[in-house]
Amino acid sequence: MTVQGIALLTLFVAAGAVFGLIVRLLFRILRAGKPENRFERWGDRFKAILVYVCAQARVVTKPAGLGHFVIFWGFIFITIGTLDHMLAQIIPGFCLERIIGRSAGSAFTWLQDVFGVLVIGAIVVAAVRRFILKPERLAIDDPHAPPQAALILALIAVLILLMYGVKGSEILLGSERLTRGNAPVSFRAAGWMSGWGLNLPLAESVFSWGHNLIIFFFLLYIPFSKHIHIIGAIPNVFFKNLGPMGSLSRMNFEDETAEKFGASELRDFTWKQLMDLYSCTECGRCQIACPAFATKKPLSPFRVIHRLRAQLMRDKGGLFARGDAVLRGAPVIPDTVTEDEIWSCTTCGACMQECPPFIEHVEKIVDLRRFLVLTESRFPQEIQPVFKNLEVNYNPWAIGYSSRADWAADLAVPLASEKQSFDVLFWVGCSGSFDQRGQKISRALVTLMRKAGVDFAILGTEEMCCGETARRMGNEYLAQTLIQANIETLRKYTFKRIVTICPHGLNTFLVEYPQFGLSVPVMHHSEFLLGLVLERRLRIRRLDAVRGAYHDSCYLGRYNGLIREPRSLLSHATRRVAEFKRRGKSSFCCGAGGGRMWMEETLGSRINEERTRELLGLGVDHVFTACPFCLTMFEDGLKSLNREDVKALDIAEVLLAACVE
Amino acid sequence: MANDILVFGEVRGGSLRKVTRELIGAARRVSQPMGGAIDAALVGALSGKAADGLAGFGLRRIIVAEDEIFARYSTEGYAKVLSDIVKSGAYSYVFLGATAMGRDLGPRVAAKVDGVMFSDCVDVRMEQDQVIARRPVYSGKVYVEIVRAGAWPNFISIRPNNIPPAEPSGGSTPIAAHASSVTQEAIRAIVTEIIPLEGGRPDLTEADIIVSGGRAMKDKANFKVLEGLADILGAAVGASRAAVDSGFAPAAVQVGQTGKIVNPKLYVACGISGAIQHLAGMRTSKVIVAINKDPNAPIFERATYGIVGDLFEIVPMLTEELKKIL
Repeated sequence: MTVQGIALLTLFVAAGAVFGLIVRLLFRILRAGKPENRFERWGDRFKAILVYVCAQARVVTKPAGLGHFVIFWGFIFITIGTLDHMLAQIIPGFCLERIIGRSAGSAFTWLQDVFGVLVIGAIVVAAVRRFILKPERLAIDDPHAPPQAALILALIAVLILLMYGVKGSEILLGSERLTRGNAPVSFRAAGWMSGWGLNLPLAESVFSWGHNLIIFFFLLYIPFSKHIHIIGAIPNVFFKNLGPMGSLSRMNFEDETAEKFGASELRDFTWKQLMDLYSCTECGRCQIACPAFATKKPLSPFRVIHRLRAQLMRDKGGLFARGDAVLRGAPVIPDTVTEDEIWSCTTCGACMQECPPFIEHVEKIVDLRRFLVLTESRFPQEIQPVFKNLEVNYNPWAIGYSSRADWAADLAVPLASEKQSFDVLFWVGCSGSFDQRGQKISRALVTLMRKAGVDFAILGTEEMCCGETARRMGNEYLAQTLIQANIETLRKYTFKRIVTICPHGLNTFLVEYPQFGLSVPVMHHSEFLLGLVLERRLRIRRLDAVRGAYHDSCYLGRYNGLIREPRSLLSHATRRVAEFKRRGKSSFCCGAGGGRMWMEETLGSRINEERTRELLGLGVDHVFTACPFCLTMFEDGLKSLNREDVKALDIAEVLLAACVE
Repeated sequence: MANDILVFGEVRGGSLRKVTRELIGAARRVSQPMGGAIDAALVGALSGKAADGLAGFGLRRIIVAEDEIFARYSTEGYAKVLSDIVKSGAYSYVFLGATAMGRDLGPRVAAKVDGVMFSDCVDVRMEQDQVIARRPVYSGKVYVEIVRAGAWPNFISIRPNNIPPAEPSGGSTPIAAHASSVTQEAIRAIVTEIIPLEGGRPDLTEADIIVSGGRAMKDKANFKVLEGLADILGAAVGASRAAVDSGFAPAAVQVGQTGKIVNPKLYVACGISGAIQHLAGMRTSKVIVAINKDPNAPIFERATYGIVGDLFEIVPMLTEELKKIL
């Protein structure tokens, strides 16, 4: 072994050991978090790696992601090449080509050679975006973040240039391995270098050492920079939530030793929620998708994750820390995340839909709300009466529970308690029961079901709020009370499915009631009515005059994938359906989710007006909704923008208007 | 224990608050079968002037603690003087209004004199020489009735607008000045300034009549139209969230789910469509009058009386007509 080989081996072992200690610390930090089961369905997890890591399926949905794709794969090829090169220096006679065969080795050399140029191109584009174009997506309030990004980009570029320097020198020294065929770029580099009058053996070892030193520096710097995502993102994709997107964790109130509920410090998060903090690439896609950020509220999901990670880096122990010293317990609120941020979230899930490494922002925000509500009893004062109303009258509005079925009195809607057994349980929900606007949707659906001869019933005064809104406001105790009471009621009757006009109820029955032991088939009225139309149980004549745009409710489209059904239903009812620019899974929240319906919107501008302006830009005279809360938000928005000429209608109302006898 | 009753009269700006007459009404219910005398206690800078308003109610005497030191309400000063007054007599019952002041004072004075406190009652009656007080719990779903067991005197605070105010019976009442021993040192927290929101009108939450405007007011200046009507009726002015959001009215007067929950005898909704978020704050009003251009506005389903028309025509017309009658 040469002297150089020994030096390299020493560095290699030392850097590797320190890196190993860092990774061990990062792992121990995860162990300090709460348990969470992400250890089922291994096949799907490996598939997620293929799709979202190897193919970068989410990354490449945005143009800038193509650059990441190139840098990602370039980095992998070049790192393998670097290892090959290092090992050759340490172990005399080592060569990757001998192991994988000459033609595969040659192909691999070509990939490295070509990707090097592509990576430099991608880095130039990235630098132009980040430092010249400065899109709002990347905007961050931490002054340390941009120089970090600049350092990384510059080092990667230097790394590639040094790689070409090494290869160029090898070519000039008469390498057999590199040919014009498998190293076209390096040959061009060699051509330039030949005119520089270099001492070739010295140049080669300087370039090679520069390259190696940068690699070692990277190894030790990465875990403490935003590029920690190189370590964290792949396992984070592997352990991603494979279950339904919209289910919050069930809290255990039976545990009599619990001293607090919800999360107030990093250790209160689960290991997976902490791993999220290792995974953020700071791409900012969540930020521009976030309705709170778009309306100048203090919340940006990107910045929340960024600051949580900064706190984690401050609160972590040394490389040899054990036990509690691994992650110091320190409050998250209000220095890392403010209460205004926590309460600005509509839980619309746009951030999670966009996030390439599948960070789960909403659950963290709800866990912080849970702490504020359940442990501290600190929340916006206007939701105090909402909690009280839900406790006392099982609806948010302080209307006596005994009047829950009053809307149905003149329609003589059958009650479950009278029928006992029936096909469809129509879950009316609070809005459909008490809000005069929502009642119109209930009445439309009842009329349609009557026309189609559906055997249905409602629970009447036995129905309570489904618990969704209390749960998302962090009042898990109240939510569980409502959920369990409803489950007891539902178990009394025999029916085939629940049909609801509210996506919030739909989501909670689909993904949250099973946590409490009730799994029943649930349908949103869009898919149920579509079924009736397709079975020709409803006769429809398309309306010519009604021209509108369909707005995807977050909990219908993004959370539960019901995107085609409402559109298909509308296409039966009317000839003209326009589309929002932000639609389907990328739809923009109306502003009412996450309990925001019950809170004042005093920070920034109003989300519903933002969405209503987008509607008005489409030049239609109707907006079609499939959620009573979206409907309210649009009606309010149209009023405040003085455009009451544009009408908001629920899809059931449109269908009823198009229904022939 | 003698059967005397003390009524704590709240003085504001030299005049008595209406709840004082309601308290005398409650005290009469107790004194008639029991046969004790009723005294009133007035504390405040202008309480002497306010005492005139109580002359004709058949009280034994009106105890007036008039001192500059009481010019502004202070928990400590008022509690001290009221407990001195209670100790100076032989009272078995002390009535206070369940107002901000009464709620603050009642339990404190009761503790000072080792009495019993019934808070926030809506009714009192006598049965077999026993006072039974009624108070709502669980947001008014259930009432509990409470009776005294043990110590005297019995403090009872009564919510405004629940017991019919006593009618004057004529005659005059002697005024007894109470020489207060409260010194400035005894008051450790001092109110330095009271900043009124909008001059001259009653609080939304205790007003008997509220005139409210919605987004149809179109402009802040247009609230003058409602204020004209409110002045004639002695009403408070409220607003819907839409009006507050549009900057036509201050957030403090917002009625609804996220604003004030009100329960007046008469609620006049002008240009308010009646979305559930607004109804949640005023639906229990005894009489609702709705003025709205849109005959399909949901407010009409809640309203006792509805007028379909432009509020800018109707409200001034209504104001003119009411001027003639009132």
